[in-house]
Amino acid sequence: MIPAIEFKNITKQFGNLKANDNVSFAIRKNSVHCILGENGAGKSTLMKILYGAYQPDSGKLFVDGKQQNFHTPHDAINAGVAMVWQHFMLIDDFSVLENVILGNEPISGIKIDFKTAQKKINDVITKFNLGLNPDDKVEKLSIAEQQKVELLKILYRKPSIIIFDEPTAVLSPVEVDEFFNIITKLKDSGNTIILITHKLREVIQIAERVTVLRQGKKVYEAEATEIDEDILGKEIVGDSSFEIASETKLETDGEKKVAILEKAGLSSGGYSKLNDINLVLRAGEISGICGVEGNGQNEIVDILLQLLSVENGTAELNYSSVSVVPDDRIKKGMISEYTIGENVITRKMGFEIALKAKLKKLSEILIKSYDIRTPDYFTPMGNLSGGNQQKAIVAREIENQSELIIFSHPTRGVDLKSSLFIHDEIIHVRNSGRAVLLVSSDLDELFKLSDRLIVLYNGQTVKEYEPLELKSRLKDAESFTVEVGKLMVGAGIE
Amino acid sequence: MNKKIIFQTGSALISILLTALITFGFLFILGRDPVVIFGRIFSEVFGTGYGFAQTLFKTTPLIISGCAIAICFHAKLFNIGGEGQINAGAFVMALTATSFPGLPFLIILPLSILTGFIVSAVFGFIPAVIKVKKGVSEVITTIMLNFISLAMVNYFLISHFAVESTIRTTKIPENFFFTKLSDFIPSFHGSPLNITLFIALLLALIIYFTIYKTSIGYKLRAIGFNPVASVYMSVNVNKYTIVAFVLAAGMMSFVGLNYIFGYKGFYEYGFSANIGFTAIAVSLLARNNPIGIIFSAFLFGFLDYGGLAVNELVPKEIMLIFQGLVVLSILGVNKLTDNYLKINLERN
Ligand SMILES: Nc1ncnc2c1ncn2[C@@H]1O[C@H](COP(=O)(O)OP(=O)(O)OP(=O)(O)O)[C@@H](O)[C@H]1O
Ligand SMILES: [Mg+2]
Repeated sequence: MIPAIEFKNITKQFGNLKANDNVSFAIRKNSVHCILGENGAGKSTLMKILYGAYQPDSGKLFVDGKQQNFHTPHDAINAGVAMVWQHFMLIDDFSVLENVILGNEPISGIKIDFKTAQKKINDVITKFNLGLNPDDKVEKLSIAEQQKVELLKILYRKPSIIIFDEPTAVLSPVEVDEFFNIITKLKDSGNTIILITHKLREVIQIAERVTVLRQGKKVYEAEATEIDEDILGKEIVGDSSFEIASETKLETDGEKKVAILEKAGLSSGGYSKLNDINLVLRAGEISGICGVEGNGQNEIVDILLQLLSVENGTAELNYSSVSVVPDDRIKKGMISEYTIGENVITRKMGFEIALKAKLKKLSEILIKSYDIRTPDYFTPMGNLSGGNQQKAIVAREIENQSELIIFSHPTRGVDLKSSLFIHDEIIHVRNSGRAVLLVSSDLDELFKLSDRLIVLYNGQTVKEYEPLELKSRLKDAESFTVEVGKLMVGAGIE
Repeated sequence: MNKKIIFQTGSALISILLTALITFGFLFILGRDPVVIFGRIFSEVFGTGYGFAQTLFKTTPLIISGCAIAICFHAKLFNIGGEGQINAGAFVMALTATSFPGLPFLIILPLSILTGFIVSAVFGFIPAVIKVKKGVSEVITTIMLNFISLAMVNYFLISHFAVESTIRTTKIPENFFFTKLSDFIPSFHGSPLNITLFIALLLALIIYFTIYKTSIGYKLRAIGFNPVASVYMSVNVNKYTIVAFVLAAGMMSFVGLNYIFGYKGFYEYGFSANIGFTAIAVSLLARNNPIGIIFSAFLFGFLDYGGLAVNELVPKEIMLIFQGLVVLSILGVNKLTDNYLKINLERN
């Protein structure tokens, strides 16, 4: 059978760095194919080539057996290749329907034919069980729902090959299951799915075939039946010993309270965003906030950063300095046009003269100690791979030595090995006596790092596990996961 | 990086060339000989010391105002209010310089600079605060403030301060005038070109350094690139918006130095001849780079003086058309080179 896609000796170079180095492999029609690899291995680059956003320096690309040279994403779309971007490109003020038909409006006479559009969209929504309402405004939707709108936009144009670049990084476990149901439906209706993820458990769950890239080269290929998490883990990092000296949490008393939110409430644009938030952050302690994204996490962070102020209740902020790794690295975390060193300079408090040598040194420190993979010191951060951008931001904020550090999804898009490294750094920060707030939708991460766990649902802290309680509950992680998972979606409250 | 600068300089030169070609065609259609006219301009400007000095004299205020605009542009703020800021500041500068007859020059000069700066800065502070507090676009407010500023200056001038039956202030004492360059270079004789030129060049260097080589500059540009990320990186966006506007507007008053202390000795209504607007084009042509602004200001000075020099051959408006066309073609050609750079620099 002719493969849906075949890469033949694809090479793509940025400066001296080979992002894709003579990559060849095929993707079966109507299959779910996972592409794995460390941060900076070249996964997104390869997908951008398939999607027409980059042109390869050499090599050939076949789609449905036909050689293709996509010059723009438009060419790729016409050939049936579609990509769901990790960064949503939706207009907040528009409804789901308006976002979907934008740029592709069905016309009758001189008017947009909303009736036909509505019908077509409703058909797609039912067929794939997306559970969206076409009339809802995008700004009201959760991250997972916005992702579905992105998907809907694509399905409306009837592609045959759909690329997802790290779609699950922003989803909570429940939402991931839901997402995989959709993937299965897409496959059942004849589509070919390409999926990039760093979560090996998900690969085992959904993939039919996997390809592993390492430093631009294809190093491994296998059927789902031949793999397990160990094999994949080893293939991804290569032969180099895959060990991280784990930092252990020291006993700290966690007595000094650096921030106290009491019955805090907040609304915006007529919606209540937070009500009844009780939260105490203590020096030398990691407080984990767990919840589905969009349940008030960002508002809490913004209050701690003094970007928002509470309307009800009280917020007592006693720290002298605060750092933050925000949830959305592109929008909030960095100046894409700046290099790593320039981002550091921008972040610094006082006045500094920033000559080239100094910027290089600032970049160098972070690149070395956090193993950031980049073509060179002066590559703008926008040109780093997603995971490496994240590492650079984490590094920058930790180096800032603030009294309180907020980590919002600190390992989002970061590969396994680097995630472990970042976890270690977070523990290190805690051990040095600083206060840490950890916001995440990854329960494993929260369970591993938190001294204290707060479950957030619908703008309320619905449950707080004190350090001792948490410790004992974690002994039976499985049943604890189920309990927390239920609390996160509002089950068992009142 | 260097490649980028070469390409960008190239794109500026292409814009200029393109415009020259169109203007050539235009003159041709009008039945004038473009070669004769441009030849005349070149020989006037580069062939005589006086012409060259006059061109530099016209370049000076454009360097100052171009750099001021650039500060705002780097933060993605649009200051269309240069004209009003220049007039308000220069007017007060001239008043200060003539209001304290007993005081020596070395006190009067800094005092005049200070009062001029403050008054101009107020006209930058107002739109910045309205933008920060109420989110009103600075484009609208600065345009409106131009009318307000010019009307106020006009009113105070006519009703209180103008010399009888003129629209100018009284003259500063003779010993207050800046040194003219013709004192050192005899062939410049007759031109009011003065040391303000060096003040302008120094300003350009200082602003270049501040924007590209200090943390202040990085923060200033950060709020232009990504205001949301700036907030999370603890850059005070509101503060930098106000600072950029206040500095830019305040600096506009320095345009008055060239005219008041360097040339006429008084403020005259309308002296600025739209420098506040031309500055926008000057800055754009140089992609807001203060060093580049020195050169693009010279180009506009050249066109301005050149237009005067061929006044009897073609209407001066031709040069205005040329200036307008340069701006249009810069915007077009820049877009093209940017796209090219995006595609090709990532490739190698
Ligand atoms: N436009 C570009 N200019 C320069 N270098 C680039 C550009 N795009 C990608 N790179 C580099 O190519 C390498 C591969 O990047 P890519 O985004 O493909 O990695 P990835 O496998 O998707 O990693 P991640 O898991 O972090 O998303 C990285 O080192 C990156 O810095
Ligand atoms: Mg990627």
